[in-house]
Amino acid sequence: MSRNSFLAVFNQKAALTIFLVGKLIRFFFFFAFIVFLLKGTKSLAGYNLNQTLLFFFTFNLIDTISQFLFREVYRFRPLIVSGGFDLVLSKPINALFRSLMGGADVIDLITIIPLTIATFYVASLLNPSILHTTFYILLVLNGLVIASAFHIFVLGLGIVTLEIDHTIMIYRDLTALGRFPIDIYKEPLRGIITFLIPIGVMVSFPAKAIMGLMSPIGVAWSLVFGGLILFLSLKFWKFALKKYTSASS
Amino acid sequence: MKKYLQIFKLSFQQEFAYRLNFVMWRVRNILQIILTFFLWSSVFKNPETSVFGYNQEKILTYVFGILILRAIVFSARAVDVAGEISNGDITNFLLKPISYFKYWATRDTASKVLNLSFSVVEITILFVILRPHLFLQTNLLILFAVFVFLILAVILFFCLLFITNMSAFWMPENGWAAQFLFIAIITDFLSGGVFPLDILPYTFQKVLYSTPFPYLLFFPLQVYLGKIAGLEIIRGLVTSFAWVFILFMSVRFIWAKGLKRYSAEGR
Amino acid sequence: MDRAIVVDRLVKNFEVTEKEKGLRGSIKSIFSPKKKVVHALRGISFTIQPGELVGFIGPNGAGKTTTLKTLSGLLYPSSGFVQVLEYDPWEKKPEFLKQISLVMGQKNQLWWDLPAIETFELNREIYEIPRRDYEKNLEELVTLLDVGKLLKTQVRRLSLGQRMRMELVAALLHGPKVLFLDEPTIGLDLIGQQKIRDFIYEYNYKKNATIILTSHNMDDLTNLARRVIVIGAGRILFDGALEELTDRFAKEKIIKISLSKEIDIKEVEEIGTVKYVSFPEVTLSVPRSTVAVAAAEILQNFPVNDLTIEEVPVEEIIKKVFRGELNK
Repeated sequence: MSRNSFLAVFNQKAALTIFLVGKLIRFFFFFAFIVFLLKGTKSLAGYNLNQTLLFFFTFNLIDTISQFLFREVYRFRPLIVSGGFDLVLSKPINALFRSLMGGADVIDLITIIPLTIATFYVASLLNPSILHTTFYILLVLNGLVIASAFHIFVLGLGIVTLEIDHTIMIYRDLTALGRFPIDIYKEPLRGIITFLIPIGVMVSFPAKAIMGLMSPIGVAWSLVFGGLILFLSLKFWKFALKKYTSASS
Repeated sequence: MKKYLQIFKLSFQQEFAYRLNFVMWRVRNILQIILTFFLWSSVFKNPETSVFGYNQEKILTYVFGILILRAIVFSARAVDVAGEISNGDITNFLLKPISYFKYWATRDTASKVLNLSFSVVEITILFVILRPHLFLQTNLLILFAVFVFLILAVILFFCLLFITNMSAFWMPENGWAAQFLFIAIITDFLSGGVFPLDILPYTFQKVLYSTPFPYLLFFPLQVYLGKIAGLEIIRGLVTSFAWVFILFMSVRFIWAKGLKRYSAEGR
Repeated sequence: MDRAIVVDRLVKNFEVTEKEKGLRGSIKSIFSPKKKVVHALRGISFTIQPGELVGFIGPNGAGKTTTLKTLSGLLYPSSGFVQVLEYDPWEKKPEFLKQISLVMGQKNQLWWDLPAIETFELNREIYEIPRRDYEKNLEELVTLLDVGKLLKTQVRRLSLGQRMRMELVAALLHGPKVLFLDEPTIGLDLIGQQKIRDFIYEYNYKKNATIILTSHNMDDLTNLARRVIVIGAGRILFDGALEELTDRFAKEKIIKISLSKEIDIKEVEEIGTVKYVSFPEVTLSVPRSTVAVAAAEILQNFPVNDLTIEEVPVEEIIKKVFRGELNK
């Protein structure tokens, strides 16, 4: 599997290189924007430059890792539409695993490693305690759990409605709201994107925790929340599968 | 000419055949506006704040202005040109007594009309919900200048988009990626679509002003907001015109080269 | 004008980038892509009179489509001379484009998401067809191709055969004098093929249109084309009447015998290649030069009721052409 993925990647090498360069450029544009903006304003929703940057880096870290892991989701629609999904179901490999993580994209590793280092560097500038750092790591992992749940939902929805491309784009646009600390949004929007569409828990809470702005109960609560969402998404996947098998017979 | 009127009509029908795509595209536009709107509201929480030469009213007008200007300048169907080149559908047009550029210019126009009417509705709704104070320009001369800059912006973007798409003549598999990099990322940022360019360091801005990008969105909006006036408008106009000329010639040159190339590879 | 199409020593070379196999090959081709020149046409010459219907045959990659594309102005000749209706196709003058049409079985010009009638209306404007002519042509084409009820159906909902017929309508609305058809019956069922064939015949006959047709379908050629041009590896191998193909390429003749008594087939095999045995009928193929001797030998040595000598069927020859088994 992975060797095939490697080869497939290299056959589209130029396209992927361009794509990667594009992502890097976007990252640096936003980075520059935050730096220049906070040079002028000194603070954003009460956060200083380094804190704002940490929000931004954490968002990118979780976003890039989940793109790396779940790239196959972007190729799910043709699979469903063409009936190729039947083949996936008939193979002795977990269909969810295959549809979710079957296409891990090596090229993302080139960005993930430096990004992780940079994120830890920015975090270290805030002089966090060991406890807060632990909270941070736990909540980043929790963010990835929520991201998986999102992608499982999208897959399930894809099976039921045959529609993937738009939902995944909307998902990406929504998470992009987490580029900046979610404190900039006014209620009721802030409440909605914190809990209803849990972007806040996913990308903003980790950064808050390392700044000591989250109580241990809040952290524990976020973890339970992440687990619950994953559970619900798996339920939904099972429901969608049942619907699929009964519809195609 | 009548044939282009017919194309305009068909383009409209075509967009309606893909209603879902269109609606989703609009939803994405709104999400982006929400992000920037709240970001700037948060920076300018206090109405007296003044940073980078903006006050709350002007920066929020900028955000809303971008929504409209994107609809006018960035809405285009010519994004499909790369696909037509790589799958060979362009053949259909080469066989007909019709100008390929005018064909796409017509389809772009249809797309612009459709997107603009939607963005007007969206702005009205957002306005009712968010109740921002917006800046209204009343000087007719300035409004006329904005209009001229918008026409130039539309032509500039058409040329940039076409040049990017024509890269498919040389790398048929990567037309889409080139578009992502050059149009969706670089052009979008450098034209001021994501944030106003005047928060950048002064020297960087100066360099940027000699490229075509700021004239797509940023410059027309600055003129509207009254932040650019007098001699600077003239200078912008000259630069803009120069770029229209350069890019227009490049489009024609690359097109001729591309067709020969297309013919040499025999797709 | 006594010649609709003139082609003289036409050469066309393509440049292709080769992809190497495997991971290492892929990496290597990023840095030093290998270019290869493919000689699609190696100097072909022919002329076609107005109103002729000519079939192009040859195996895949022989250069048939390349020729059609060059004739319609899509490809620029590497060298040689091409003239269609006294125009240079590459210049793509509107007056020229208004008189030709190229239909490719695997490409479509119809707007996928709209009813076919919309594309027709668009073509009316593009080709600047006067309203009266348009109505008349449309009516005629729609009746001939039997698609009247489908005009307002979204193209994507049409079957392949229906779509191909619509493609023909779209391609012929402007009444082209020269028509290039590249595999027009590909992928169609037998009835669909027949409909297209009948139509091509009618169109050629009624409008006196010059038509070049390429096809892998033998029936297309035997039913439609009086003249065929055989192309192989970028060269013309044969140009003439369909029936003459046999004289030219058949190296054998067929002897059919009807026996009165059962015999040992092995003995017949010494005379010629046995193609078919079903007592009392036996069919053999024998080299042309020795056919008389072979026939005499058979009559002498075997209990024969009846014997006939026939030409190899043209279908057999065309089959060989497609397999690329013919040489000059």
